[in-house]
Amino acid sequence: MGTVGLTLQWEHRISPVAGEGGRRVEPSQIAAGQNRENNALPEDAALAAGCLAGDLRAYERLYHLQGARMKNLARNLLGSTTDAEDAVQDTFLKIQRSIGSFRGQSAFVTWTFRILVNTCYDLRRSRVRRKEQAQENSDEAPRPEPRAPGSHPTLRMALERALAALTPHQRDVFLLYEVEGFRHAEIAAMLQISETASKNTLFQAKKNLRGMLEPPRSAEAGAQ
Amino acid sequence: MNISCGDRERIFLDGSAEEWAALEQHAASCPVCAEEVRGWKALSRAAEELRDYREDTQLWMKIESALRETGERKVSRRRFWERLGTWSEIPLGWRTALAGALVLALAFSGVYFLRHQNTTDLGQNRLLKNSALAEVERTQGDYMKAIDALAGQAKPELDSPSTPLMASYKEKLIVLDSAIDELRAETGRNPSNAHLRYELLAMYQEKQQTLQEILEMKQ
Repeated sequence: MGTVGLTLQWEHRISPVAGEGGRRVEPSQIAAGQNRENNALPEDAALAAGCLAGDLRAYERLYHLQGARMKNLARNLLGSTTDAEDAVQDTFLKIQRSIGSFRGQSAFVTWTFRILVNTCYDLRRSRVRRKEQAQENSDEAPRPEPRAPGSHPTLRMALERALAALTPHQRDVFLLYEVEGFRHAEIAAMLQISETASKNTLFQAKKNLRGMLEPPRSAEAGAQ
Repeated sequence: MNISCGDRERIFLDGSAEEWAALEQHAASCPVCAEEVRGWKALSRAAEELRDYREDTQLWMKIESALRETGERKVSRRRFWERLGTWSEIPLGWRTALAGALVLALAFSGVYFLRHQNTTDLGQNRLLKNSALAEVERTQGDYMKAIDALAGQAKPELDSPSTPLMASYKEKLIVLDSAIDELRAETGRNPSNAHLRYELLAMYQEKQQTLQEILEMKQ
């Protein structure tokens, strides 16, 4: 696993960001800042009200705003586009079924993503059961399906393999924070953990990923 | 803010914006921290590769169709309960009377149905049993008459047996007649029991055989 990262030399492919200015250096805020604004939108409450009233346009609006992100998260969690589509559809049906129980303790969007994450867990569990029946290794991480090429397809593949080597919990937190751009408070609400646990898990996940993807550190760095 | 290399991991874990700015300032003069910060941030950049936010209209069409279907089911269920809810607008006295009438109607129709069904079934069964039994009884009667005629012919030999063998036949016939009487009494109590009928037939056949043997000896 590590050798892929070692030969990747990805530091040469990605422009270094150390020199970039910015108040908070967490890259997810830069990349997914737009997503983080979602909860602040007054539209969140309107969406919840529309869904509660059974208005299909509200669901359509929710899909328009969050559908692609939901599908992306589900695909990264499940490693399959087909399963991801099933999970998103199932999530919308669950929202419709249980919207009456939404009390507004969290943002509506956070609540919908919590449902999505739980749906993905259910699918993952049922897949593990199927694998166990087939006497396969149940701890095996999902193998991602090929998808549209990004700007660094080799890097993406290496990252996917490295993510597969993380614990499911570390993988989920990394995907939610770094890929989907959720705040730790939101992740905590979705995964029903504390904010501190979310931060610690992300830190551990990133350390592990760096160990797998980067070339060995210099002796000087190790000493520090 | 003074930052040293030792603060780096803590800031990675949960650093404030100010702390990050201070770390970057420190990294400008510390190649090790510069490398670590670069690597840390590069990982977040790499995560962008896992982001594919293309709109999927086909998926929405599937979801919309499923939502519509479930919504319609929900509405029809709600309408049913709403209609049922109008029941509460009827005065209590009328509601009680209606409920009682409904219970009575159901009870009467149930009883009528059961009785009607039972009567039909019983009638049909009895008819079938009667016709079958009549046929058996008639055949049995004819058979008994034939054997009685045979017994009449053998009677003189049996009344005063001339040989020990004849005396033995007489005893056998007494036993057979006794068994036949018992079986006939049993079939009278349980006329549809086919097993008893077969037993009785076997006894008659045995009696017929014995009488024929007696008559053959006489000749």
